[in-house]
Amino acid sequence: MLRSFLDLFSRTVAVALGLAFAGAWAQVPQQPGPMQSGRHASEVPAKDTTAGATQQAPATGAAALDPNQLFATSCGWCHLKGGRADGKGPKLMGTPLTDAEIVSRIRNGKPGQMPAYGSSFSDDQLRAIVAYIRELKP
Amino acid sequence: MTRWWHLPALSLASLLLPWTFATAADVDSNRLLNADKEPDNWMTYHGTYKSWHYSPLAAINAGNVAQLRAAWSHVASRSNRGLQSYPLVVDGVLYYSGSYNQVWALDGATGDVLWQYKQKLNEDLVAKQTHSPYNRGIAIGYGNIYMGTLDGKVVAIDMKSGKLTWETKLVNSEKLTVGFTGAPLLVKDKVIIGAQGGEWPDRGPIFGVDARTGKQLWRFYTVGGEEGNGDARNTWLNDSWKTGGGGGWMPGGYDPETNTVWWGTANPAPLYDWSGPDWKTKGARPGDNLYTTAVILLDPDTGKLKGYHQELPHDAWDFDSSTGEFIMIERGGKKFVVHPSKSGFVWVYDRAGKVVNVWRLVKNINFVQDIKPNGELVGRRDMTEGKHENLCPFIAGGMSWNMGSYNPKTGLLYKVGNEWCMDLEIVKTTPVLEPMAQLNIGANFNITHPKGDKAHGHVSARDPITGKLKWEVKFPEPPLASLLSTGGNLVFVPDARGWLRAYDATTGKELWKHNNGQGHNGGIITYRAKGKQYVAVMTGWGGLAGDDYAAFFGGVFAQMPKDSGVLKVFALP
Repeated sequence: MLRSFLDLFSRTVAVALGLAFAGAWAQVPQQPGPMQSGRHASEVPAKDTTAGATQQAPATGAAALDPNQLFATSCGWCHLKGGRADGKGPKLMGTPLTDAEIVSRIRNGKPGQMPAYGSSFSDDQLRAIVAYIRELKP
Repeated sequence: MTRWWHLPALSLASLLLPWTFATAADVDSNRLLNADKEPDNWMTYHGTYKSWHYSPLAAINAGNVAQLRAAWSHVASRSNRGLQSYPLVVDGVLYYSGSYNQVWALDGATGDVLWQYKQKLNEDLVAKQTHSPYNRGIAIGYGNIYMGTLDGKVVAIDMKSGKLTWETKLVNSEKLTVGFTGAPLLVKDKVIIGAQGGEWPDRGPIFGVDARTGKQLWRFYTVGGEEGNGDARNTWLNDSWKTGGGGGWMPGGYDPETNTVWWGTANPAPLYDWSGPDWKTKGARPGDNLYTTAVILLDPDTGKLKGYHQELPHDAWDFDSSTGEFIMIERGGKKFVVHPSKSGFVWVYDRAGKVVNVWRLVKNINFVQDIKPNGELVGRRDMTEGKHENLCPFIAGGMSWNMGSYNPKTGLLYKVGNEWCMDLEIVKTTPVLEPMAQLNIGANFNITHPKGDKAHGHVSARDPITGKLKWEVKFPEPPLASLLSTGGNLVFVPDARGWLRAYDATTGKELWKHNNGQGHNGGIITYRAKGKQYVAVMTGWGGLAGDDYAAFFGGVFAQMPKDSGVLKVFALP
């Protein structure tokens, strides 16, 4: 069950994590990556692109993501054992936070402790992350 | 005949002495080359180009260190994740950096603030960063303080006024999330600095910048090199170099005799690969993945690759080589470069970059069975998708990025070692090619105790070439700060709980201790100002290694603040 879920949504994870403009998620596999475009991502952008680079459009798509894979990619460094144990960040299994508080923490982060994911995730994706956290078992 | 003319000239020189003294503060290439002739000063991150983190000053020594007392301190504002940087001292003035790219200049004898500099940062960007907002150090030269910023710039700050001289954008951090946290290295008239990179889809560049103008002179990509300069993208099959990694997030070293910059590079991404033993053809990034987890030798004038040794081909454990200093040692007419790494092993090279020995500094290592003296890995533990227990060392490393100290009087290398392990579940992830991905790990994991032992740390004194142990002191948790040894037969160890201790460098006997009230996670130096010797140490807790301590070790770490930083300075009465 988990495996089929993984397979089904494996491509969308990178998208969910990486996309600057979440509304375009569906087209991402066809879009050039930073190094496919001929200009390298580390190069300083032309003057007209810098200012808007951090502005992300609100996520509106319903693209699904696999939270287990998301944890193994990004979250698990701090939320150990896929969120089942305390680490740099707190254990998420059994968290007393409300759904709204979890969503707020993901979006806004905590200075010096948790990065702000801003609008990297759509509402549906945030609901999937919250559901994953609520279903965590030892 | 001319004597009469000399007299007023001498008087004129006397009148101008303060001015000439001030100009002498301009650290240039020649002064850095001869830094060991200026024991009063600490002019570069590693002390001198020898990277010994040693001072010959001996007014404070094994015979009187018991009298050492707090002299002055300075509280650094906005110290999220503590002070992780290194103070530098030139001609009686102490300079240091803190979180959010702040810099202070202080009177080295009194602590009086001469100026304060706060870099204007894109705070929205900084809020998105994981390896942030700390800064790990600065460089000094040509009247400037040089610093890499969280948002991808190198800045030059006038060391007298604290005003910005120039700034140059080198990395598109708004797109890539990462920027600079490591100290630059000044070589001749070039500022050399490596970007963060190991966990992100970038190619981990190292830059050479004109120290006077800020103009970018060269760039070297640690992921795959580039056409005309070490093109190695064929060591990343399926174009997997696009998933990136690499970088050189700590300052390297410089060998003036061969005009070679030595720089350690970080791990490839994702950190963990599900390929198993078939890593040459399968998995996330098939191949050796040059030039990640390697030591690279660069021409400082051109950035051209002169040579390299990849310490861990296809690093599958996040044991990057960017963490260790490059200790230049001469023994028996032979010249060596000693490089400790996160893996827990210490590599010994000749000055041309050929491996002449490898020895282990920590006990709990099982990611390989061994590494031969010629550098060959034996019995690699290449993991496949699924659960794996008891991988040692833990991801934070057998050694972290904190610096050891080599003392030429004892001939010993003093270094922190970490004994800890991890359980992990390797997860097959989708290639992360887009920026703003934060991290690309490839596993869920947790920290564990070594089998039959408790996790702990130690400081050992060893022969730097052979690894032969002279003495060792154990700590209940790995200290995460750098060490200092001196001509006074002393080794200073700032520990994780907040104690700063001094040991007899020859025997390891504890001679003095002082509780600084919070953990240490930065640098320590000694210097002389107005004729008096001082010891300066960074305090403040937090960071990628220390953040695990509250949950794993508990105790004092459960309440230790992670938003506090104080520079503490000690002297004899």
